Amino acid sequence: MTDKRLEFGVGLFVLLGLAAVVYLTVKLGTGSFVAADTYPLEARFANTGGLNKGSTVMLGGVTVGRVEGIRLDPADFSAIVDMSIMREVQLPADTMASIKTSGLIGDKFVALAPGAEESFLKPSERIVMTESAVELESLISKMAFGSVKEDEETSSGEAPSAAAANSEP
Amino acid sequence: MTLKKMVLFLASAAVSFQAFAAGDPESTLREAMQEAVTVANASAGGRALADKLQPLLERRVCFESMTRRAIGPGWREFSPAQQAEATRLFTKLIIRSYSNKFTPGEEPEVKYLKGSSQGPDKIEIPTSMLYKGSRYSIVYRMENRGKWLITDILVEGVSLIANYRAQFNELFKRGGVNAVMDSLKKSVADT
Repeated sequence: MTDKRLEFGVGLFVLLGLAAVVYLTVKLGTGSFVAADTYPLEARFANTGGLNKGSTVMLGGVTVGRVEGIRLDPADFSAIVDMSIMREVQLPADTMASIKTSGLIGDKFVALAPGAEESFLKPSERIVMTESAVELESLISKMAFGSVKEDEETSSGEAPSAAAANSEP
Repeated sequence: MTLKKMVLFLASAAVSFQAFAAGDPESTLREAMQEAVTVANASAGGRALADKLQPLLERRVCFESMTRRAIGPGWREFSPAQQAEATRLFTKLIIRSYSNKFTPGEEPEVKYLKGSSQGPDKIEIPTSMLYKGSRYSIVYRMENRGKWLITDILVEGVSLIANYRAQFNELFKRGGVNAVMDSLKKSVADT
């Protein structure tokens, strides 16, 4: 009798263990058991350098979707990134997509910056206002275009901006 | 010819006429560049150059949509008067920080690469520019609004609009419309 009970217990334990492994595999693979409520969007980049299937799509630092796949557009050799975005996140038509890096050498992700347009991007629409992956992008952009000034009270000891450096004496 | 076909034909004729009237984006860009260089070489640089360039660039660049896109989601909370003022200031800011990079007499050597169409009235024209011994990759994004206008510029892959949008958005979240307007005024005054 005790043998049977012991065997049953061990069997149950093994099954629970297997279930945990399956759960973890799905979770870590960024998959989901049920298809979440999302809609597809595309973005065209000149270079996706290091972005992968499963990379996150963020808006203001919040994950709002993920990369479903990356393919090449044979017409002009640009990369088309397929993304799925959460249904409740409606993006203005002039939303921009940039490929950014978390930290200095971290993972690449797609950052969305919503614009001011009244109309929204429809499912499967393509974002063409994009920025490709560059490491030193923010630095270069400050050098190339100058940066906007802030109030003295709020600025926190930032290096003098390019705009100031460029002003004529 | 049925009525439906007739209407379709007329509509497509109208569309192609519009495309024809708008001209070819690449030659528009070449013309704009040539005009700007001519004006730049005839002036002493600095602010005087910016003032001279402004009317010329306003015909070639859509500053209104640039400002709207650069300010981003906060734009809807601007009153029409504030929007007009922001556009005016942003236009000045862009032209000034641009013309500061110009050295009169230096002729840029621009190579135009094949543009890639992004839909019926959007195009991206990559160029490679040799200026004062350095080579820059500059991509012009243009849109057809009756005529081809420049709507964004990417220098070494970095978008002008994205750069400003990131900064304005942060300012807007911290201090609303006033913070954005103040920083615009400050930047224009200092540039």
